[in-house]
Amino acid sequence: MDIHTITVIGANGTMGCNIAGIFASFGNCKVYMVGRDISTVENAALKAALSVKGDSILRNLIPKDYSQLSQCIQDSELIFESIVEDLQVKREINYKIAKNVQPWQIVCTGTSGLSIENLAGCFTEEMKQRYLGVHFFNPPYNMTLCEIIPGKYTDRELVKELRNYMEQVLVRTTVEVKDTPAFLGNRIGFQFINQAMQYAEKYKYNGGIDYIDAILGPFTGRSMPPIETADFVGLDIHKAIVDHIHMNTNDYAKDSFVLPEYADRIIQAGNLGRKAGKGLYQSVEKEAGERKKYVYDILKGEYREVYHYSFPFAEDMILELRNGNYGEAFESLKNNQSEEAKLCMRFILDYIVYALAITDEIGGIPSDADDVMAAGFHWIPPLAFVEALGGRTETRKLSQKYLSEKILNKIGLERLFRQVDQSKYDYRKYLRAKP
Amino acid sequence: MGKVYVLGGAQTDFERNWNKEGKNVIALLKEVVQDGLKNTNLHLADIKELNKENKIACFVGNFIAEKYIEQGHLGALLTEVDEAFYGMPSARYEAACASGSVALDTAASKIRGNEYDVALVIGFELMKTVSAKIGGDFLGRAAYYPTEGEGIEFPFPKLFGRLADELIDRYGYCEERFMENLAMISAKNYGNAKRNPYAQTRKWFMNQEQANLRKTKLNPIVGGRLAVSDCSQVTDGAAMVVLVSERFLKNNFVQKKPVLKGYGHRVAPMTFNKKIEESRGKEYILPWTRQAVLDAYSRAGMGVENIDFFETHDCFTSSEYAAVSAFGITEPGKEYTAIERGLTQLTGSYPINPSGGLIGGGHPVGASGVRMFLDLYKQLAGEAGGYQVEKAENGMMLNIGGSATTNYTFIIGNE
Repeated sequence: MDIHTITVIGANGTMGCNIAGIFASFGNCKVYMVGRDISTVENAALKAALSVKGDSILRNLIPKDYSQLSQCIQDSELIFESIVEDLQVKREINYKIAKNVQPWQIVCTGTSGLSIENLAGCFTEEMKQRYLGVHFFNPPYNMTLCEIIPGKYTDRELVKELRNYMEQVLVRTTVEVKDTPAFLGNRIGFQFINQAMQYAEKYKYNGGIDYIDAILGPFTGRSMPPIETADFVGLDIHKAIVDHIHMNTNDYAKDSFVLPEYADRIIQAGNLGRKAGKGLYQSVEKEAGERKKYVYDILKGEYREVYHYSFPFAEDMILELRNGNYGEAFESLKNNQSEEAKLCMRFILDYIVYALAITDEIGGIPSDADDVMAAGFHWIPPLAFVEALGGRTETRKLSQKYLSEKILNKIGLERLFRQVDQSKYDYRKYLRAKP
Repeated sequence: MGKVYVLGGAQTDFERNWNKEGKNVIALLKEVVQDGLKNTNLHLADIKELNKENKIACFVGNFIAEKYIEQGHLGALLTEVDEAFYGMPSARYEAACASGSVALDTAASKIRGNEYDVALVIGFELMKTVSAKIGGDFLGRAAYYPTEGEGIEFPFPKLFGRLADELIDRYGYCEERFMENLAMISAKNYGNAKRNPYAQTRKWFMNQEQANLRKTKLNPIVGGRLAVSDCSQVTDGAAMVVLVSERFLKNNFVQKKPVLKGYGHRVAPMTFNKKIEESRGKEYILPWTRQAVLDAYSRAGMGVENIDFFETHDCFTSSEYAAVSAFGITEPGKEYTAIERGLTQLTGSYPINPSGGLIGGGHPVGASGVRMFLDLYKQLAGEAGGYQVEKAENGMMLNIGGSATTNYTFIIGNE
């Protein structure tokens, strides 16, 4: 597949601008960046160049507004629609695209979870074959994952060629996923995050949010603790994703997608997370420019300075990891009988088992779960985690010991673990010797 | 004199930042030793047994851990990796960016002299513990520090910027065309790195146009004519190679392994000024680099026509440019003819840095020599995956320390 010219619609948005940057740099494509007005798109072009650390791509980026949309579309081999995640608005723009495209062209919609099938309805039968969803993760220069979501009618050959192009030319990690709510990466990732938020409420007498984050710190395979991640993503976006999954899926972990009430309250107050300067956490400036980290205390209903928790199991793990003793680090976790260590273990196993179960449910292979979590979240991928815990037999045994009856009754643990292969990812780099 | 065989080895993922991971030098060494032993089918029990018979030794290459991580006595440091290293002969070897090579050379001579059967050669550097500016000052100690390093911001880009100036002056190049050649080198090495799963820049964007767009916001000048795109990276990493005697290979392995065929080691005047003074009016700007190449050819009984691929020390694009003629691919002053015709590309007749080199792959200073040697091995054993060259019977590497002060070359090949 050779792509020379593309149109990105909604190029003034964060995703649109970054996607334009990826095509213009790695793909060396001419990119029509279409947005509401030229000056914001011009600014977005500068941001796109910055996002890939390449000022040479400015030559490839051509700001346009909607008055020139049909011309841009007609001149492009690929049209990438990346406007706001609103089905009605997206359908309107897709109708406009449909009026201007022909079957030699490709149309991609950038969405993190809307139904491709529904959007494909805007196109003729012939064009439906050339239409598919492509979900980039933010920021795409660092997060190389692209979930490819073919619709029911999408041409298989096109899917194959596009995946190949994205991997070879655009340096992406691609995973083909079914047209299911939130697709694969976000379903696994936000299950973990939202469940952590729910547990924060359950453990509000122990400290709540920062307590759970301290149990699931970077020493468990993520550069940022999970609840802090929700703040980083934006609580409105978090809510939209988990609500959508909760409403439209019916798997055994469905309840873990219910947004806790305290989070709703914080959102209502307009505290949407890091972008709003305040959310589940808050960075407060003290005297002499020194910043202090505050957290929302669920019990008290107000912000307070974060506690400095010290859990013996976590201290042990961090010390072992610092010296490169990965096996010993997990032995400390397995052997420690404190409430915190058990919680940590349960979360890890829940993550592995849910990732495998959902990947299986939507017809993927276990390595897909690894690709989405490594390239879309920079989290230790589930199969790699199985290795870190001592292999599949050991992890299965641990699951039997730690997971609830409710979960164990609903999944075939034996069968799930039988499919587990060696991960292509090295678990060591994800486990940080940091609280 | 015995033969020296290469069993294989391992390198860490050069994308990693060990400081950010919160891990120390012991964690780094543990990983590379564990992976190196695993890849060569050796076990800690074998190591202990060999050590009982005094048939194994360790050779550690590192430039300046005393500055970056406040640690010296690096040969002995391996005892912290595992008890199997207790009692084992082990020492650190240093020659700036050629530290890995001097460790390899010493190891090879001990095997050649039948003193040991197995040599574990480990190169490493942790560089991300300090800012680029402070790190640049540390590296200034690879030049003559009082006049070429102290108080100078980023001394090495400036020294290799002067090499670029000298190339233009001596051979009368058109500046624009020469700089375009340097951009081609940069783009090639970034491109090759995309195929290497251990390369630091494997997800980064760079192409010839970007590399040739110097003096911009995102590609500023760092030394003379050289911009960021002309430089190798600041990298954390380690590499390990296992060298063995013929006796050990025959007794323990059925498969064939590459053999060390030749080497060269020449030291040029320390300061860049004296290098230029010495070579004024001569064919080569860096005659001792050329001599180190000739020495390896002569020891191997070979010429450039016998070499299928090269790994070179592209600490800057100007050093890879000069290496083209040092290897004998072209005459000095005619390097551009090979570069512009694509001879040094992955699919060319003289591929240089199929791994991505130091620019694409990364440059953990003390590890680089060992990493290059490992990449020669991978190509010869057909284990280079996405960056495998088509024909790999003999490969050559050039590893330099300082401003091409210590020059080390090795040729390894299949028998």
